[in-house]
Amino acid sequence: MDTLKLETAGRGLAPSLAVKTKCVMEDEILRLKGEATAALGEAGKEDLEPFRVKYLGRKGLFTSVMRQLGSAPAADRPRLGKLANDIKQELTQAFAARQEELGAGRGQGTATRLDLSLPGRVLPRGRLHPVTQVMAEVCAIFEGLGFTVAEGPDVETDFYNFEALNIPPHHPARDMHDTFYVSDALLLRTHTSPMQIRAMEREQPPLRMIAPGKVYRCDSDITHTPMFHQVEGFLVDRQVSFADLKGVLSVFIARMFDADTAIRFRPSFFPFTEPSAEVDIGCVMCGGKGCRVCKQTGWLEILGAGLIDPAVFAKVGYDPEAYSGFAFGLGIERIAMLKYGINDIRLYYENDLRFLSQF
Amino acid sequence: MKFTLNWLKQYIDSGLNATELADRLTMAGLEVDSVEALCPDLDGVRVARVASVAPHPNADKLTLCQVEVEGEPRQVVCGAPNVRAGMLTAIALPGTTMPGGFKIKPAKLRGEKSEGMLCSARELGIGGEEGGIMDLPADLEIGAPLVAALDLEDVLVEVDLTPNRPDCASVLGLAREVGGFVGKRMTPPVAGPLPRLTGEGLPFTVTVTDTDCRRYAARLIEGVSIGPSPWWLKQLLLAVGLRPINNVVDVTNLVMLEYGQPLHAFDFARLSGAAIVVRKARPGETMATLDGATRELDSEMLMICDAERPVAVAGVMGGEGSQVTDATTSILLESAYFEPVSIRRTARRLNLSTDSSYRFERGVDPEGIPYALERAARLIVELAGGRLMDNGYDVVGELPGRASLDLRVRRTNELLGLAFSADRIAALLNSIEIATAKMDEETLRVTVPSFRVDLEREVDLVEEVARLHGYNAIPTALPAVPMRFAHRDAGRSLRQQVAAVLTGFGFHEAINYSFTSPAHCDLLGLAADDPARQLVPLVNPLVEDQSVMRSLLLPGLLENLRRNINHQQPDVRLFEVGKVFRHRDHATQPEEMMLLGCVMSGRRHPGASRLHYGEALVDLLDVRGVAEALFGELRLADRLILAADAVLPSYVAAGTGLALAVGATPVGWLGQVAPSVAKAFGIKQDAFYLSLNLDALAACEAAPKRFASLPKFPAVQWDLALVVADGVGGGDLLAAITEAGEQLIERAEIFDIYRGKNIAAGHKSVAIAITYRAEDRTLDDDTVGKVHERIIGLLESRFDAHLREA
Repeated sequence: MDTLKLETAGRGLAPSLAVKTKCVMEDEILRLKGEATAALGEAGKEDLEPFRVKYLGRKGLFTSVMRQLGSAPAADRPRLGKLANDIKQELTQAFAARQEELGAGRGQGTATRLDLSLPGRVLPRGRLHPVTQVMAEVCAIFEGLGFTVAEGPDVETDFYNFEALNIPPHHPARDMHDTFYVSDALLLRTHTSPMQIRAMEREQPPLRMIAPGKVYRCDSDITHTPMFHQVEGFLVDRQVSFADLKGVLSVFIARMFDADTAIRFRPSFFPFTEPSAEVDIGCVMCGGKGCRVCKQTGWLEILGAGLIDPAVFAKVGYDPEAYSGFAFGLGIERIAMLKYGINDIRLYYENDLRFLSQF
Repeated sequence: MKFTLNWLKQYIDSGLNATELADRLTMAGLEVDSVEALCPDLDGVRVARVASVAPHPNADKLTLCQVEVEGEPRQVVCGAPNVRAGMLTAIALPGTTMPGGFKIKPAKLRGEKSEGMLCSARELGIGGEEGGIMDLPADLEIGAPLVAALDLEDVLVEVDLTPNRPDCASVLGLAREVGGFVGKRMTPPVAGPLPRLTGEGLPFTVTVTDTDCRRYAARLIEGVSIGPSPWWLKQLLLAVGLRPINNVVDVTNLVMLEYGQPLHAFDFARLSGAAIVVRKARPGETMATLDGATRELDSEMLMICDAERPVAVAGVMGGEGSQVTDATTSILLESAYFEPVSIRRTARRLNLSTDSSYRFERGVDPEGIPYALERAARLIVELAGGRLMDNGYDVVGELPGRASLDLRVRRTNELLGLAFSADRIAALLNSIEIATAKMDEETLRVTVPSFRVDLEREVDLVEEVARLHGYNAIPTALPAVPMRFAHRDAGRSLRQQVAAVLTGFGFHEAINYSFTSPAHCDLLGLAADDPARQLVPLVNPLVEDQSVMRSLLLPGLLENLRRNINHQQPDVRLFEVGKVFRHRDHATQPEEMMLLGCVMSGRRHPGASRLHYGEALVDLLDVRGVAEALFGELRLADRLILAADAVLPSYVAAGTGLALAVGATPVGWLGQVAPSVAKAFGIKQDAFYLSLNLDALAACEAAPKRFASLPKFPAVQWDLALVVADGVGGGDLLAAITEAGEQLIERAEIFDIYRGKNIAAGHKSVAIAITYRAEDRTLDDDTVGKVHERIIGLLESRFDAHLREA
């Protein structure tokens, strides 16, 4: 402000204060505009900040000029004020344009260029366990078909796990289940099939239900863990046929894998279904050509299924002449292995972050 | 069940190659586990005759043999003890690569030339345990390739049988199935009428005193000479994994595999009183079985005895004392039907599972018994000589009869989704020797053959129809079911919600085994009466570390933490949602509770760039923040109570624990894991933990979502800084402000806590920003000032605080 005063006085222009002020002020504003425009045109990156301080800053020349407007004649003030304002705005825009041109960036007066190569500021999310993810996917498909999700106890009675499912004591089918026992009458469920019985005891047909959960077999090697996850599903109504079972499972497999996944049903044995089937899909690893995973057969077994045995209906008091139904069961770990290419089942329960964060 | 293609061919000419056969069997429910070429690549191995044998001049155990293969005799150095002049054996000529990869070259052994190697069956990969070089039948052509001479080219097929098909635990049973799909009938080795066995005029007696033995047939063969079996028999047994023993025992094994009927041969001379008595064991009786073990018997075990003592565990294993030895001259041959459950029980009790018990447990063909007996007896006479007595015993009790079942055509079609005629169904069943009679167009009367013990009900026949037609040929449909909304389980929804929130906070989900180590209780320092000590033990754990059901999630997550730290990942956020178990009593299912466990350790921002987020470590307020945010998401924050004065387990570090409750319902706790406990789990860094009982939480009612109008007037923020004693809780100051009942106070927040210069020792300055707002007007300084003064006054008097001087 002082500088400007001195300069103005030093030039000793017109005699009339009013005129002088008017002329001096207007000239001064225009002169400043010229000076600043020239300076801006020549400014390098490092000159920008000093320029901003000198002309546009809170204590800069334009601010000083505008403060002096008070001493101008009242009639001129609005015109001069507008002129100064317009010019300041013009310069501010020119400054911004120049700044951009020089790639200097704005903000905080720093002249350092933004490092666009740096990684973003991310707070990583955690992930659900792959078993949970696949379980959710399986359940969602069946929920979409109107199946209800039901859960039951992990420590089951011999009755629900075996007897009610048509596996009496001393039945050779018990050899198919390496059972962990808690006492004579209690065991860790070897499948989620007991939920069939629990649900049918509680409700009358029609029934559509899936039962996800942990199951246990005393078997541990490279392809078996003593605990794994299963989903049991069943549907009971009048006139349910094996063709319906094939249809529902085909829909499931097309959703879970690919719409054009090959499927085959072959006869098998479960005491609680008759007829019983194993369901194979075309090997997802080799496309059915034969590889180590499918033991060169081109097929992978992924489901056990069948029509619910009349003996099971008898246990829960359903009339097997009036009702029929199907049931199926599948292992989640196996499906996750196939979907994600996991090659060692033991990884599931080590909970290594390097494993968990992959899915 | 293992068999070879050549063996099967003796009973049925299927015209199928190995791959086709395997595929057809698998699709018929007889899942083929493996198919392997039985004979290794033995180019260069020939039949040779040992012309002469002379001692090796430089080695005691070696011999110099002149061997005829083709052309001039050649010299071969041999180390086998059984080499003798005149024998036929196998020679690997120079250039042959042995199954192990070793290449035969002309060599000098201890200075003597050797052009080739005389081989044992084992060295050629075609035999099991026999010592010495092969001793081949004399009628083979010298110089012929061994594979051709012995007809070694064969394919071994292994079928993984389901427990319902004992009929296919036999080559004949499999041949019958194969016949079904190629439209032929298999031909058994023994057919036609058999001699009637009346038990009269025999030098021995058979007495059956127990109903668990339903049929007992026995024949006597006198004057046998026990010796090794011929090559073909040994080869067959070795191929399917059985050890050849002698001609008699080998025949019983062969016929077992052929007919599925286990047989037993007793040394007749060693049966006291020339008697067979089938009875239950007497209390305290013991017996030495063939495997050399002495077995303690109980009174439910069915035994084959002589006049004095048990000589075999019926259907499971023979006794040492009556086994066939080289000295045996008379054989008593047994073929029987034992009650499946009884055999299974005995086998379990003795922990003995044999090829014999496997078949009896599942049910042998009660009508096949005399055929298997006849087949074995004839074969023994053929191979071991001797004279088969014309008569024998066949004691028949109550046998499972041939069931007669009506199969409804309509029912069959309904269950399968087919539209077959009675004739079509009958043709399918007839193809595997199941006889049918058409009663009318709607009904077939089916006579179940005795070998199909699994066919007991109409539905079993429906499965046969499906199986024989082929599952893949059955059409595909979708059930027509009523539209209905699937009920959603609240507990499951809560678990999904919790998992979604926690993954959002950077927690990965862990799943640990439900069984764990009983040692965890002590590592955690649990009090003797801690309910978490009410463990559910397993009767038959695989390992000690997995011998009890877990009662807490914490130990598993601490082990996961240690593992990750040990694998150079010290920044850990893991959660697990899973059941824990509390013992009640042996007859009652244990209590199962669904818990959430979250463990945090290491850096505050695991996986995030240190450039952006620094290296600060998690502390208690991080885990508290997780809990608060979680309860916020669950819409329970309003009723969440965190109590610092609650009694928590000793594995929570003193002074760090907060008990969590929703209203009056305790739902869990959070805190730092006591460093001593962390150390016991091998963890040297601070670990923080949040434990919630999701069952309790699921029972809490979430606050409904309700819209509140957005404020129309601005808020003002006034700050204050209070100096209070160190012991005063910052949160308590905030609580006092928000609970003061002042309508205008919208929010209070601590933005700084300061100790040090200008603050008296033992005191701290707490800077609080209070936000004031009125619903209906812009607040002026006077109004706010009055409320602010009142709040200051309240805090000063309640907490013995004073305003910090500027």
